[in-house]
Amino acid sequence: MAEPIVELRHITKRFPGIVANDDVSLSINKGEIFAVLGENGAGKSTLVSMLFGMYEPDEGEIFIRGKRERIDSPRYATQLSIGMVHQEFRLVSNYTVTENIILGLEPKRKFLGLLPYVDIRKANNDITELSERYGLKINPEDVIENLNVASMQKVEILKMLYREAEILIFDEPTAVLTPQEIKALLLVLDGLRDYGKTIILITHKLNEIKAIADRCAIMNRGKLVSILDVKTTSTDEMARQMVGHEISFTTEKKPAKFGDVVLKVADMSVKSITGYEAVKGASFEIHSGEVFALAGVSGNGQNELADAIAGLMPCSGGSVILNGQDITRASVREHIEAGIAYIPEDRHNVGLVLDFTLRDNFPLRQYYSPAFSSKGVISESAFNEHGQKLLERYDIRSSQGGATITRSMSGGNQQKAIIAREVDMRTPLIIFMQPTRGLDAGAVMNIHRQIVAERDRGAAVLLISLDLDEIMDCADTIGVIYNGSINKIAPASELSVDDIGLYMMGVGKTA
Amino acid sequence: MKAQKFTLSCLAIIISLLFGALILWLMGKDPIAAYMNLLQGSGLMEKAKYAGRQSMFTDFMSFIDAMTPMIFASLSVALALKGGFFNIGVSGQMMAAGITAHILAGFIPSRILVVIAGFLAGALIGALIGWLKYRFNVSEVVSSIMLNSILMYLITFYINTFYINPVSRQSKSIVDAARLTISGFRWEKLKVDIALAFPLAIITALILQWVLNRTTYGYEVKAVGLSPRAAYYAGMNVNRTSLLTMTFSGALAGLAGVSYFCGYLAAIQPGTTPSMGFDAIAVSLLGGNNPIGCVLASFLITVISKGTVYMSSRQHIEPEIASLITAFILTFASCSAVLDRRKKK
Amino acid sequence: MLDMIIIDGLSFALPLFIMAIGGIYSEKSGITNLALEGFQGFGAFTGAIAVVWLSGIFGPSSQVPYYAGFVCAVIGGGIFALLHALLCIRFKADQVISGVVMNILAMALTSFLTKSINASLFGNTANKFMLGASTRITIPGLSEIPVIGAVFRDIYPFEIIIVVVALVMWYVLYRTVYGMRLRACGDNPHSADAAGINVYAVRTVAVFISGCLSGIAGLAFAYSVSANFSPDIYLGYGYLSIAALIFGNWSILPSLGACLIFGFARSGGAAIINQLGLPSGYNDLVRILPYVLTLLLLVFFSKHNHSPRALGQIYDKGQR
Repeated sequence: MAEPIVELRHITKRFPGIVANDDVSLSINKGEIFAVLGENGAGKSTLVSMLFGMYEPDEGEIFIRGKRERIDSPRYATQLSIGMVHQEFRLVSNYTVTENIILGLEPKRKFLGLLPYVDIRKANNDITELSERYGLKINPEDVIENLNVASMQKVEILKMLYREAEILIFDEPTAVLTPQEIKALLLVLDGLRDYGKTIILITHKLNEIKAIADRCAIMNRGKLVSILDVKTTSTDEMARQMVGHEISFTTEKKPAKFGDVVLKVADMSVKSITGYEAVKGASFEIHSGEVFALAGVSGNGQNELADAIAGLMPCSGGSVILNGQDITRASVREHIEAGIAYIPEDRHNVGLVLDFTLRDNFPLRQYYSPAFSSKGVISESAFNEHGQKLLERYDIRSSQGGATITRSMSGGNQQKAIIAREVDMRTPLIIFMQPTRGLDAGAVMNIHRQIVAERDRGAAVLLISLDLDEIMDCADTIGVIYNGSINKIAPASELSVDDIGLYMMGVGKTA
Repeated sequence: MKAQKFTLSCLAIIISLLFGALILWLMGKDPIAAYMNLLQGSGLMEKAKYAGRQSMFTDFMSFIDAMTPMIFASLSVALALKGGFFNIGVSGQMMAAGITAHILAGFIPSRILVVIAGFLAGALIGALIGWLKYRFNVSEVVSSIMLNSILMYLITFYINTFYINPVSRQSKSIVDAARLTISGFRWEKLKVDIALAFPLAIITALILQWVLNRTTYGYEVKAVGLSPRAAYYAGMNVNRTSLLTMTFSGALAGLAGVSYFCGYLAAIQPGTTPSMGFDAIAVSLLGGNNPIGCVLASFLITVISKGTVYMSSRQHIEPEIASLITAFILTFASCSAVLDRRKKK
Repeated sequence: MLDMIIIDGLSFALPLFIMAIGGIYSEKSGITNLALEGFQGFGAFTGAIAVVWLSGIFGPSSQVPYYAGFVCAVIGGGIFALLHALLCIRFKADQVISGVVMNILAMALTSFLTKSINASLFGNTANKFMLGASTRITIPGLSEIPVIGAVFRDIYPFEIIIVVVALVMWYVLYRTVYGMRLRACGDNPHSADAAGINVYAVRTVAVFISGCLSGIAGLAFAYSVSANFSPDIYLGYGYLSIAALIFGNWSILPSLGACLIFGFARSGGAAIINQLGLPSGYNDLVRILPYVLTLLLLVFFSKHNHSPRALGQIYDKGQR
C-alpha cells in the first residue's frame, strides 16, 4: 500500500459570492501522477493554490507527509518541497535561464574571502547538470525573452527541481503547447515519476489523463465528484462526471452554404512592433457563410495577421480586399465602416475600456455615427437604449445594468459584451481572436453556437484559436499558420488533429 | 462613484486639517482661532477691525482674485489627467504665457489680447509636450520638467537683461489697461480688487464639464486616457486626441499664467517657478479631476494660502504652515485614490 | 580655465551622479522615483542642522561636523524616503503623483522647520542654516599631471565620499544577491515573489537607499552651490539626475557619463561667459544647456530606451 504524501480533509474555501471549494477531502500517494479534472470554474485551481500557499482554506486541514501544516505562503510551501508551475509563467524576462532558476536561492561566494557575490559560474554548471539528468535540455545562458513557450516551461520545471521539490503541481501545463510538445512534456512527467516525485496535474483534457495519470479526481462546481482509477475508467465516463450530465462534444451545425468571396487576403506581409516580419506572404479567401479557422502555436504571427486585417497594424506587403474593395491601406475606422467586426484577443486592454460603464463601452466603435451623436454632441438616450437592447438580447449579466463599471464584471460577461457589440454590427466579416480563452464550458458552447449562427446568417467568419478542439468544433475550412506563413489550407473534414499538429510544427510542409 | 470620490476628498481634507491643528496645538497656538483667522483673511468671516477703505468685502474680492488662476491651473491638470497625461509643466506654461502677454501688452495694451496671448502661448508649449510624446515617445513628465527649467532660466535671463524693474528686482509691471485685475477700484468708500478673469474661469469649468461628458471629443479624451489601445481599436485617432488634449491643457495653464502674472500680480519674479503649478496637481486630485470639483477644491486651497498672511500675523506663526497643510492634503489625497481603486474591485 | 571647468564640473556632476544611482536603485526595483528632488532637500536639511549644531560644540575649525553632517544627511534622506515607500507600497498610491507630493511636502516641511528651529533654538529669524566653506583637498603628485591633474586638485571631501559610495553601490547592484533580487522585482515582481522573495521589503529598502544617496547629494549641493541650507536648495537638480538616469538607460556607468556631460556643460558654459566678459545674467542661459541637451537626446534615444518592465506598476500580492 502506497503511503499518502498529501492529505486534504474537508477543505472549504469561499470567495465573495461563490464557494470555490466545498468540503473537499482527498489523499495523494507518493510517486503517483494524480490528475484533477474539471471545467473552468470548477475550483481545481483554487484547490491546488491552497496547497501551494497562495490562499488559505476557510475550513479544513492539510496534511503533508502525515503532519498537519498551515501553508500560509508559497515560501513555506517551498520549504515543504512543494513546487508549482503556474499557467502564466513567472519568469524575469531579461534574466538568463540560470538567473531565473537560482533566484531566491543563489549560490554565494566571497571575493577575497570578504565581499559576498553570486557565483554564476557554479550555478550555470549546476543547471546544466540538472537539466541533463531530467531530460530537460536547455542552454543555461539563454535570456528568457528569446525562448519559446515550451522552453520557458522547462525553466519553470527546473526551478522546482532546483529547489528539490518532491510534490510538483502543474496547472494546465499543456494549454499552450502543440500536440508534439505535449507528448514531450508527458514523457518528462513520466520520467519525474520514475525519480519518485509526486505529480499533481490539473487539466480539462481527458486524453492526457488517460495517457499518463494513475488516479484522477473529478470536480464540479467546487465539489469533489469522485476519485477514479484511470486505467479502469473510460474517458466517456470521466467526461460525464466532469460536466454532471451527458454532453455532446461538438456544436451542432448545418452543412455550410458558401456564398461569394468576402475577404481576399493576397500575399500579405506584416511587420511586428519589434520590426521582424511576423506574417510572410499569407494568402487565403473566406466566403460568405464560411467559418475559416486558423490554427497555430502561439506567437506564429496570428496576432499580427488579425490586427492587420482589422486595420490595427499596417501591411508591409500584399493586399486585403473586402467585398471587392481594397482596404489594405485604410485606417482602423475605415475598416470598421467597410464592415469588419473584430473580437480581439486581449479583452482587458484592447476590447474594452475597463473603467467605462458597460453602456459607454457598447458604442465604442460607433459612437461618432449619426445613430449615437450629432455634430459632435453625444445622445445620451441613444447610448442608454442601445445598452439596454444589447443587455437583453445577449443575456449579459451585470450588477447595475448599463451603469455597471465594466472592470467589476466577470471575464465571461466581459467577453459576452464584446461579442454582443461586434456581432450586433451585422458586418459581412467577423474576426474572432481566441474568443473562449479562460471561459468555462457553458460559455464556450454558447460562443461556438454564436459563431455558427453568424455563419448561417451569411457572414464570413475568421476564427483564430490555439485550441484545436475549438477549431475542430467550429471550422468549415482550416488553415494552419507556422512562422508567419500559412502552410496548409483544407476543408475541415479532410484534416485530423494529428495532421494539424504536424503542420503547426512546420513539419507537414513537405508532405 | 462620484459621491464616493467626494467623500474621500472630504476625508483627506479633514484628516489634514486635524493634522495641521495638532501641529498648531503642539506649538502652543489655538488651532480653532488660527483656522478662523484663515477664513477671516479670505474675507469669509468678519475680522475684528479693518484698516481704512477695507472691509470683509474687499478681502473677499482679493480672495476671488487669488483663486482665479488656481481654477485655471487645476483645470489644466485635470483635463490632462483625463486624457492620460500628467501635466507637471503647468508652472512653465504659466510663465511662458505671462511673459508673452507682458511683452505684447507693451505694444498694444489690450485685455483681450492678453487673454489670447496667454491662451496661445500655453497651448504652444502644451502642444510641444504632446508632440514630443507621440512623435518621439518622450515621457510627458520628463519633458515638462525639462521645459519648466528651460523656460524658467530663459525668462529669468530675459527679465534680468531687458525687462527688470531695478527697485523691486522683479520684471516691470504690466500697464493697468491690460491688467486682468482692476486693482484698487473705488466703490463707495472701499478700494476693491476686481478679478475680470473670474467669470471666465467659472464658464471655462462649466464648458469643460459639458465637453467631457456630452461630446464625442470628451468621449475620445476619456477613452484615450483610460486605455489608449482600446481607443485605437475603436478607430479613434489617438495621436490627434492626445495632441489636442495637451494643447488645451497648455492653453488652460496659459490662462492661469495671465490671470496670475497679468492679473493677481502685475509682474513676474525671475529665478523661480510659481508653486501654483504644483499646488494645482493637489487641487485637481482633490477635485477628483472633475471640473466642478476643481472649482470647489481651488476655493479650499485658496482659503488656506490666502488666509495665511492674516493668520500668521495674528498668531505669530511662520506663514510656511500654509504650504505645509496643503502638502498634507496632497499626501492624503494621493492615498485616497487607492481606497477608491480598491473599492472598485 | 580648463582647470576650473574640470574642478567645477566634477563638483557638480558627482552629487548628481550619486543621486542618479539612488534613482536607479528605486526604479530598477520597480518604484518610479520623481521624489529625488525632495529627498536631497530633506537630506540636506537634516545634514545642515547637524553641522550647525555640532559646529557649536566642536568649534568652527573641526572636521567632525562636516562628516557627521553627511551621516545625518544620509539618515534624514533615507527616513524621508520611507514615506514615499509607504505611500507607493503600503498605500499603493500612484507613484508619479506620490513623487511629486513628496517634493512639495519636503519643500513645505523644510522651510517651515528651518524657520521654526532657527526661531526656537538659535533665536534668529533666518530661513537658512549657514554651513561655512568646505575645505578642499589637493592630492600631491597626481595633481601635477598636465590637464587631467585638475581632477585631483581642489577636491571637495564629499567628492571622495561619493566615489567610494558609488563603487560600493555598483557592486551591490550588479554582483550581490540583494542586487539580483532587486532587479528581478523591477522586471517581474510575481516571479520574484514566487521565488520566495519579499517584494515589498526589497522595494522598501531600495527606496530607502535612494533617499540615503540623495541625502549625500543634497548636502553636497548645499556646500558647493551656496555654503548654506535654505529652501533655495530646490533648484531642480533632483529632476536633472532623473534625466541623467533615463539617459543612462537605467544603468550606473552610462548615467555617470550623462552626469559628467551635464557638469562640464555647466562649468564650461560659465567659463566661456566669464571669458567673454558677459554680465552674470548670461549664466542663466548656460544653465539651460543640460536641460536642452537632455530633451534633445531623449528625442533621439527614447525609442531605444528600455525602462524596467514593472516600473510604476502597483504590485499587489493577492492579484494574479
